[in-house]
Amino acid sequence: MAESICRALRDGALEGEHAPALTIKDSIASPFGFHVFCHVLSQLSSFILAGKSQSGGLVVVSFSRSPSFYLELLKNKGIDVVSSDKRIQILDCYSDPLGWKDRLIEAGNFTALSHEASNSSTANVLKDVKHMDKLYNSIVERGKGLIGGGKNRFSVAIDSVDEMSRHASTSSVAGLLSNLRSHDQVSSIFWLLHSDLHEARVAAVLEYLSSMVTSLEPLHQPANGHRGDLENLSLIEHNLKKGKFHVRIKRRNGRVRVMSEEVHIEQSGISFTSLSSEGAINQGLVPKVQFSLELSEKERIDRANVVLPFEHQGNGKPIQIYDGRRSLADSKHERQVAATEKVQTNEDSGGGEIIYFRDSDDEMPESPKASI
Amino acid sequence: MAAAKTRTSSFSRNISAAAPSQGPGLKCGPNGTVFLSSGISDLDKILGGGFPLGSLVMVMEDAEAPHHMLLLRNFMSQGLVHNQPLLYASPAIDPRGFLGTLPSPAASKDEKSHKHDPDQEKGLRIAWQYKKYFGESQLNFDGQRDGKHEYSNEFDLRKPLERHFLSAQRVDCVSIQDSPNLSALQDRSATFLSQYPRNDGSISCAGRIAIQSFSAPQCAYSNMEWDMLSFIRSLKSMVRSSNAVALITFPPSLLSPSFCKRWQHMADTLLSVKAIPDEDKELSQLLTGYQDMVGFLNVHKVARINTQVPVILDATTFSIKLQKRRFLVLECLNQAPVDGSSGTSYGTSGSCSGSSKTGNLDF
Repeated sequence: MAESICRALRDGALEGEHAPALTIKDSIASPFGFHVFCHVLSQLSSFILAGKSQSGGLVVVSFSRSPSFYLELLKNKGIDVVSSDKRIQILDCYSDPLGWKDRLIEAGNFTALSHEASNSSTANVLKDVKHMDKLYNSIVERGKGLIGGGKNRFSVAIDSVDEMSRHASTSSVAGLLSNLRSHDQVSSIFWLLHSDLHEARVAAVLEYLSSMVTSLEPLHQPANGHRGDLENLSLIEHNLKKGKFHVRIKRRNGRVRVMSEEVHIEQSGISFTSLSSEGAINQGLVPKVQFSLELSEKERIDRANVVLPFEHQGNGKPIQIYDGRRSLADSKHERQVAATEKVQTNEDSGGGEIIYFRDSDDEMPESPKASI
Repeated sequence: MAAAKTRTSSFSRNISAAAPSQGPGLKCGPNGTVFLSSGISDLDKILGGGFPLGSLVMVMEDAEAPHHMLLLRNFMSQGLVHNQPLLYASPAIDPRGFLGTLPSPAASKDEKSHKHDPDQEKGLRIAWQYKKYFGESQLNFDGQRDGKHEYSNEFDLRKPLERHFLSAQRVDCVSIQDSPNLSALQDRSATFLSQYPRNDGSISCAGRIAIQSFSAPQCAYSNMEWDMLSFIRSLKSMVRSSNAVALITFPPSLLSPSFCKRWQHMADTLLSVKAIPDEDKELSQLLTGYQDMVGFLNVHKVARINTQVPVILDATTFSIKLQKRRFLVLECLNQAPVDGSSGTSYGTSGSCSGSSKTGNLDF
């Protein structure tokens, strides 16, 4: 359901509402978060450039990749950023986040390198990421520069919240994100998070702040037991190409929509398909009773071995139906034989035993029936 | 005295005939407590009258649904309609903006029915000897309805509250996002509550405090768990000695489990709201009315002041529904009749089996 997420980001915020916010969460077991981020980024950019979206511009705050990476990425998707730099701006927090280059130059131990001038139009280097207020102001400034004033809105994409959390406290990062969400001119916002780099609380905070949460999980959980490395390796390899894509969308009416898809990583990018096997979502509703409704293996074998007290056992012997008219000797003989046969088979089975005496055998032959 | 048993007879004490000097917003209850309405008449009934003055109400939010806002809005609007001053604190930069979303009391349906009734009476051919009873019961019914109507209003969530209710004398707003510690909020609460001290005389006015998303992550103090706990404790003691009710909502998923428990113990009345999954086939088979539900409300604790007798509710889980998308109602959960052909027996499906998703469903 990646389409529905991109559509939600494209449609943006209603009047008086917070902007929709998406968290993309992954972990080491299924590390495709960045692929998903790039996918959403390129989708949203194409919507913006085609004029189909509520927002008129996009500010990409790049922490973990250099701006040229994004320019390449968008160019490969057919979006030429340089010509349309009125719509997409990249805030460079990657090259020099803490302003070291300037300080080194000041200290005099460093000759100034030739700056790469090619990207100066689209990339704006931010040198002080520790202060979230300054970052907030820069983002808002860039955004306003893109769209002008008035009713226009812009979208924000944050490369990786992990880097932000390294430099600032969780509450200031949360403050930045919530202020961006409640800003009148922000249409939508999305960010990426690697969940195993943080404590659980950080992920919980980001989920609290967002209106859509997507998480990536491996398709097959690798066994923790020592089942031989070959099996594990192939599972891990499998997990590196495919994964499960879970989405939780908080709807306006207060309900939560839960969806799942399979995600495949290919050379050209990423593709989403519906889940091949429907997961057992309804495990919780199976009635839990004191007895088990299934038979164990032993019980099944025993059941197969029980000989039922019918005349015809269905095992190929000619069926002889007792009609009560045989002579006494024959019937006695038969009875003995039958009884021993029965006893033998019963003993063989070992488990279940059914001892059956035909009702008519109990009667004395040709005795007057006792009147009731 | 033994624990109060539920009355089985059809006679019920008419407690709603409160001392009129206290005004329409307050109601006398057992054990010398005075209630004020939560804004949701169903919730008042569940809690045995409303929120008692001097109690601290805490609502545990669900990170995935904004249902606590419904409770907050109704609480705040009810106070303003009854002329009970309000102190509102929220992590937004401009809390005043939220006041624009408060609902207005619905146009009373009683007025319409009053108009219809005389016409209906003419139209209805009632046997003459019953007319006198009909007239009396009508009067009683109207009287009761008026009484209830005054104490607890039906709020129309689509109609904003009229501006004159939101004047600055009645509503005070505090933003808690930027304050590094809680001393500012504590001082504001203290000054607010000092206006409504509790003494043995009659109650002139009651106040309400509403704090939204107390431990929201964007607040600077949100990782100072001991400080937040001590704030709650001091607020509780201040509220207990004044004629006011404080309502605090907080997201428990952002607190460490031990502090979550401590906060829950602090509350006099503890409620929690829960989101429900959308288009869930199992849930729609299990519960009737699933389509209209927007969430669940759980009542964990009911305030008992001046008494040692606990309240044991028949049911603690209620579904939150929005009738016509306007009116908030709380309903008991009803298990849908099980389709006989599917083979599952009535007893095994549903409550006892404990659908692990829906947590503590309680029929």
